[in-house]
Amino acid sequence: MTRRFRVVPSAALVPGDEPRDIDLDAVDPSGAGIGREPMVFVGPVRPSAAGGRATVEVVVDGWRFELDVEDHARAELRRRATREPDATAASGPTEIRAIIPGRIAAIRVAPGDVVEAGQGLLVVEAMKMQNELRAPVSGTVERVAVEEGQTIDNGDILVVVR
Amino acid sequence: MTSVATASLRKDRGGQRPFDRVLVANRGEIAVRIIRACREMGIATVAVYSDADVDAPHVRLADRAIRLGPPAAVDSYLRGDLIVEAALSTGAEAIHPGYGFLAERASFARATEDAGLVFVGPSSTTIELLGDKVAARRTAVAAGIPILPGTLEPFAVDAPDAVEAILVAAERIGYPLLVKAAAGGGGRGMRRVMTADDLPAALIAGADEAAAAFGDGAVYLEREIHPARHIEVQLLGDVEGSVVALGERDCSLQRRHQKLLEEAPAPLLTEAERRDLHETAVKAAMAVGLVNAATAEFLFDTSRRFWFLEINTRLQVEHGVTELVHDIDIVREQLWIAAGYPCSERVLDAAAQAARPKRHAIEVRLSAEDPARGFAPTPGTIGRWDLPHGPGIRVDTAVASASRIVPDYDPLIAKLMVVDESRDAAIDRLARALDETTIGGIQTTLPFHRFIVADPAFRVADLSVDWVDRHWAAIATERRLEALDIAARAAGAAVADVGSGASPTPLVGGSAATGKDIVGGPAVASAWSRVGRARAIDRWPR
Repeated sequence: MTRRFRVVPSAALVPGDEPRDIDLDAVDPSGAGIGREPMVFVGPVRPSAAGGRATVEVVVDGWRFELDVEDHARAELRRRATREPDATAASGPTEIRAIIPGRIAAIRVAPGDVVEAGQGLLVVEAMKMQNELRAPVSGTVERVAVEEGQTIDNGDILVVVR
Repeated sequence: MTSVATASLRKDRGGQRPFDRVLVANRGEIAVRIIRACREMGIATVAVYSDADVDAPHVRLADRAIRLGPPAAVDSYLRGDLIVEAALSTGAEAIHPGYGFLAERASFARATEDAGLVFVGPSSTTIELLGDKVAARRTAVAAGIPILPGTLEPFAVDAPDAVEAILVAAERIGYPLLVKAAAGGGGRGMRRVMTADDLPAALIAGADEAAAAFGDGAVYLEREIHPARHIEVQLLGDVEGSVVALGERDCSLQRRHQKLLEEAPAPLLTEAERRDLHETAVKAAMAVGLVNAATAEFLFDTSRRFWFLEINTRLQVEHGVTELVHDIDIVREQLWIAAGYPCSERVLDAAAQAARPKRHAIEVRLSAEDPARGFAPTPGTIGRWDLPHGPGIRVDTAVASASRIVPDYDPLIAKLMVVDESRDAAIDRLARALDETTIGGIQTTLPFHRFIVADPAFRVADLSVDWVDRHWAAIATERRLEALDIAARAAGAAVADVGSGASPTPLVGGSAATGKDIVGGPAVASAWSRVGRARAIDRWPR
């Protein structure tokens, strides 16, 4: 039975949510001897929806993760089978997706507008707070996929910038 | 003699109740909190609910429940007309508004009064005066209470030439300053402005948010002082005109002016400073004829001066820490006062001792928010839900495992409070309580509280209202990455256990029997046994 896994956070919402390769037979570089005992909760092992072997919810010191776990060898195979590994088209359109569910309170751009990185694109109202969504890259607005007043969910495409 | 009548009224309370039936115009933990007080006093309760709350605890706990409308607050919990109608049709004599929603809308208080019902809170006149934050500032000035430099008239941002006038006023006040909503509090419509260049954008954003939150986009300017602590005084006033201060709370740990942790008493104040603060708060309340419960908010600067901010005419979210320190049930007192009774002997005694508190209480607000993403809301369905128990613990919540946290309402899901003999002991107790807390299904603010309770600066009460906004993001990123490393390993270990059939814990009920491609796994392993296992994995590589 393999004891090497690739563990992939299911929703990469925060920088640093990259896949991790875990070898249970190696000494844990992060765990032992840091002088602080983490509180760990591990949920039931569930079938994976993302193609891995299983999905597990883990909460560490209150930080919650949905983790997709795949045998390391199989993860490698899958990576090689992909035609252009890691070569995501750098010049393609950027889809800006909702990272909070809520309601579109205001739209500040229209298709064809030239925007700079950091410029406000739209305002999402959630739980009574207004959150301005800014452009992650500079470019031209190709599409505005939502309307004012529309209710949005996590992961919905809001604006496409090319 | 008035005094004799008063005394006998107080004595006779044991066999009476202030009302026969009360409508609770709120939802969530505060509705449950108020219903609990009513039940203990023998008062029947009427709940109101939206379509999102059909099965909510406040609906189940009340004696009757009346549907208001669709989930959106404007169609349900903000429909004052429907709520007054519900009170009349169910025979309720009084309406308790809780906090948020209609609690500080003078128009709702007036509609309640006009319908011949009792509004459990200050009068509509007092709410109107204090709801206009700029008018409240003028009242404080007239009463000789120190306020922060700022404007004494509200600005309508859309008015012609408004921007020029605002820029002139801003130069006079000095930067950094705050744009604040004239109609509200709670950080809604508030923006920090560092330079004149940032002012126009802050005015637009603040006015838009204020208009969305309060239906009024008027804003004013106020000097920002930092570092400063947020300290507030709990007030109770009765119809006989007496107003008392039930001690103070320190609510300095905030992000974007939303409180994350509150404690009572405020640490490191001298008895003389406490007495002075309480007297100032009572003076402000007297100036506006306060009856029932309210809270006077102040900033406390590094030269130990207090600056009046505003008076909130509602039961505060954090009222529980005051109750724990002074052994008072504020909701119960509110109901007696609303029925025309004077402040109880118990309240008067507590107020007399308030400058020399004998206990310390701390509350943390567990919210459906991601502390690694600027506290962005995280609606969803609660999974694992282990909350602490034992000595000195109080949990106010209306959430349980499988509860849906909808995006329509406030993200607060539970208030965890501890009380002990001293601040040090209370912090130790809070650390223990947080160790017993596990929440799954959604990300919550728990990591923030776990960090704070172990933080040496918090231990010595080195507090400031801008600490979270300045320092937390970097800490959050680092802590979360450490946690992810541990979580990834624990996930791998759990999958390996299941795959090798070595799982010491029961499989998910039914999944093994279906024969489908379900891998099964531990369903209800305790957090403690899991910690033990995670540690064993760390220490003994196999």
